[in-house]
Amino acid sequence: VVPTLPDWAIQVLQVVSVLTLAPLIGGLIARAEARIQQRQGPRVLQPYYDIFKLLHKETVLPDPAGPVFRAAPYVSFAGYATVPMLIPVLTSFGLPLGYMGDILGGGLILGMASFVVSIAAIDSGSPYAQLGSSRLRSFGALNEPTVIFVIFVVALTTHTDLPYVLGATLRSSAVEVVRPSHLLIVAAFFMLLLTETGRIPVESHGGTLEFGQIEEGRVAEHSGPGLAFLRWGSTVKQLVLYVIFANVLVVPWGLAADGRLDHVLEAIALLLAKAVAIGALVVVIECSFAKLRLYKVPEFTVASFMLAVLAVVMFLFAPSFGAVRLSVFGAAATITAVVVLLLELGMLRSQDVWEQLRLYSLGSTVVAALAFATAASGHGGSSLYVLGAVTIGLKALLFPIGIRFVLRNLEADPRVPSSIGVPSSILIAVALSAFAFVVLRPVHIGGEAALPLEALPVAVGGVLVAFVLMVVRPYAPSQLLGFLALENAVSVASLAIAAGLPIILALLLLFDVLVGVLVFVVLVQYLAVARTAVRTDVLDRLTG
Amino acid sequence: MSWALFAILGLPLIAVTVSVADGWRAAQVATVVAGLGSLGLSIAVALSVEHGRGLHAAGGWLRLDPLGAVFLVTTGLLYAAAAVFSVGYLHLDEPKPDFSRFARRYFALLNLFGWTMLLVPLASDFGILWVAIELTTIVSALLVAIDRTDAALEASWKYVLIASCGLGIALLAIIVLYATGTHALGDSYIPRFARFAAHGAMLSRDAVRLSFVLAVVGFGTKVGFVPTHTWLPDAHSEAPAPVSAMLSGALLSSAFYAILRFFQVAVVAGQRSFAEHVLIVFGVISLAAASLFVLRQRNYKRLLAYSSIEHMGVIALGVGFGAPLAVAGALLHVITHASAKGLAFLGAGSLLRGYDSKEVDDVTGAATAMPWTGPMFLAAALALCGLPLSGVFRSEFQIVAGGFARPQYVGVALLLVFVNLAFFGVLWHAGRMVLTPAAAAATSSRSDGAPGERSAWMIAAMLGCLFVVIALGLHLPTALSTLISHASHLLSSPAR
Repeated sequence: VVPTLPDWAIQVLQVVSVLTLAPLIGGLIARAEARIQQRQGPRVLQPYYDIFKLLHKETVLPDPAGPVFRAAPYVSFAGYATVPMLIPVLTSFGLPLGYMGDILGGGLILGMASFVVSIAAIDSGSPYAQLGSSRLRSFGALNEPTVIFVIFVVALTTHTDLPYVLGATLRSSAVEVVRPSHLLIVAAFFMLLLTETGRIPVESHGGTLEFGQIEEGRVAEHSGPGLAFLRWGSTVKQLVLYVIFANVLVVPWGLAADGRLDHVLEAIALLLAKAVAIGALVVVIECSFAKLRLYKVPEFTVASFMLAVLAVVMFLFAPSFGAVRLSVFGAAATITAVVVLLLELGMLRSQDVWEQLRLYSLGSTVVAALAFATAASGHGGSSLYVLGAVTIGLKALLFPIGIRFVLRNLEADPRVPSSIGVPSSILIAVALSAFAFVVLRPVHIGGEAALPLEALPVAVGGVLVAFVLMVVRPYAPSQLLGFLALENAVSVASLAIAAGLPIILALLLLFDVLVGVLVFVVLVQYLAVARTAVRTDVLDRLTG
Repeated sequence: MSWALFAILGLPLIAVTVSVADGWRAAQVATVVAGLGSLGLSIAVALSVEHGRGLHAAGGWLRLDPLGAVFLVTTGLLYAAAAVFSVGYLHLDEPKPDFSRFARRYFALLNLFGWTMLLVPLASDFGILWVAIELTTIVSALLVAIDRTDAALEASWKYVLIASCGLGIALLAIIVLYATGTHALGDSYIPRFARFAAHGAMLSRDAVRLSFVLAVVGFGTKVGFVPTHTWLPDAHSEAPAPVSAMLSGALLSSAFYAILRFFQVAVVAGQRSFAEHVLIVFGVISLAAASLFVLRQRNYKRLLAYSSIEHMGVIALGVGFGAPLAVAGALLHVITHASAKGLAFLGAGSLLRGYDSKEVDDVTGAATAMPWTGPMFLAAALALCGLPLSGVFRSEFQIVAGGFARPQYVGVALLLVFVNLAFFGVLWHAGRMVLTPAAAAATSSRSDGAPGERSAWMIAAMLGCLFVVIALGLHLPTALSTLISHASHLLSSPAR
């Protein structure tokens, strides 16, 4: 007979499991990154050793430090340790203290915990620590509206803002998870998570102190047990955000439905698995992107805020076709449409043509995956497999390689000029996506009330964003990539609404890309011959 | 008679093969034969479908009905004129090095361009139609860039970029239409025009509207509707003159033909008045913007390009007015505009060869310096302004009369205002070029001699176009009016 744990025991276990697992996640991420970068890296358990070591060291206080400085590590750690009581960590049912505060309350406690550290940095009198805290405050100002909008959307979807109930509502109607608005807030929250945990592209984590550091810079003056609690606290904060991301927004499944010991242990194991999965994603991002220059960081946070705003618009204008069923095809189509849109926004942000090529290639892969998923779920003929295979071959491999080859031969400058600033272009792109969504909302193609109908407006938004990409970049390869991204968006739209796509439409799509690239490559060559550069903003002779 | 459809498509391809495989002299001969042959065959098949019977070939993949025949004849006419004109136009480049390669490439592309445009009205489904129009973009972009000057490359780049995006949107229109058709026609079917016409009532109203708007925006990019017209003046001014004539007269109308096919579906699905409103809006905007731009042009080929946008606006308005008289007028306008604009662009090409400049200010006294080209260019300008004796007068008159019959007073009033504005602009510039006395000093310093006629081939091609312009103004052949009335019947609801 398996014993059943009382609620208070689970409540304690909830906090204890977060506090004990948190350094492990940090250690795993650091180790994985090191291995990918061909380094030996620290031991996985190193964070525990560090905390243990620091706890036995003496505290050295800077001259001007007062009681605020001394209390800050403990107050902030207490804050981080309180939040796990409010969120569904292990159980799907609410625990006694779970209704102490709603998700805003949790957010405020997290904010308070970070705030006291900033105050302490000022109290320390060290300019380096103050620089970190003032940067954190000024960038953080843009994070808070994102949090509010994310909470808006979830609260509007579920008519509540209690974390336990949010998760429960999503569990009961899984279709909400793959709504475009929800997918967008997931993206926005993930970007927020990267910012808040001090990850690339905002901040390089760990190691030596650097001038550009924000989070790490703030704690420069702390030492001894205080520093131990700050370090521990920041890993707890990271795990808490991962838990909110997983158990409230993305996969509110795999929690214990009752107090039986084996169910609870299973939930702890799954918690670890989810956190490791998110950590793996973070590792991939940390290893494939460079840190943004400091003054570019607001672009990143603004982008996440824009996504949250777009999510609210898409939520408010979501088409209502009555009860919608969740199907593999519907979910795949919507996710693909949103991912293609996000990748286009990434291309819009990128200043580097190689990065744009990678993003385009990734987008094509996603489109191909949609083709496979559609065929596998029985929504289209087997010709879709061919389409998927050809999409991978041409759009994900051949074209990017071909364009790379041409650019290398031309010795083109990989920096992509932009005629307007990145935040403005993202603002325009988001406005256009919202416009497409609002305009196409009432259009009913006819047929079943299935989910992919929401994918069409998103994909059309992607078409418009591709236009922006072509307009704001006076650079021939980028314009070509914009055109190809447009093709991808059109492909998603056609797969979403005409999944029973006969080979003729498949041919049309591929034909378009094929000839497009043919002519574009010829013209890029021509342009190169004509002026040894591939910029197109010098093309201003013909006007009027 | 269905063998003729294959012959129409076969002739240009043979000419392409000859151009690629053999010398440039053979290419010239083949091009002229293919051009004139296509024109003759087009007229022959048009006569055979004039009473509304459709022609089928290749297991239904090729099909010609009266509506398509109107556009087929238009394309044939421009193709023939451009083929003949090209012989004289290229003749002047002969001393240049590498002429042989250039001429062979030029003729191969010209014939391929003709072939793609002849394929457009012969397509029987939206798929082939779209592919054919996409092909016209690729081939003509290469033709626009053929001179490899900076300006030509710039024009070509803009053209490919903008037109490809437009066709991406047009593809979306086809996909939406296709998606809504699956409920009536089964999961996988060939999107033939005839099938939509038969099952129009079962299509979703929203989807038909959406696809029509997407089609007008997408194909409208190639038609030259404002605001997606920006590639058009550049491409028209930088392309070789015969290519400009084909672009303006045939390519724009081919794209408009695609819109008409969507219009047909909208009519059958009961969305006629919505579609008419869309066309009126785009027509008025294009007409207004283009007529204002005509006034300020300094380059006469750009002037003619803006005039093309204006005339496409007139055609859109004619279909948008909806009265049978106006629709017939619009279809007639496709032919009359093509012949007049063909004449004008060929004349412009001849002037360019004579004066070696595209600027209005550099061309003076064309009436005396070029006794054939000058008057014919002026005649083309007068015809484009819609003066009586020209076919354009007849078609514009029909459109206006049809608009009053509907009644669409606002649209007609705007049409008259802007057509007159363009009238003023075109005539002002053309009159200055042809009628002012020659500035002797400016011309004497030229290396290649004084301005003058360069080739009899060019004059012959222009005379052909002039003949069509005047003939259609003086007398409308019965066969043509029957053809057009059957074609306009296809664009009106079967219930009516």
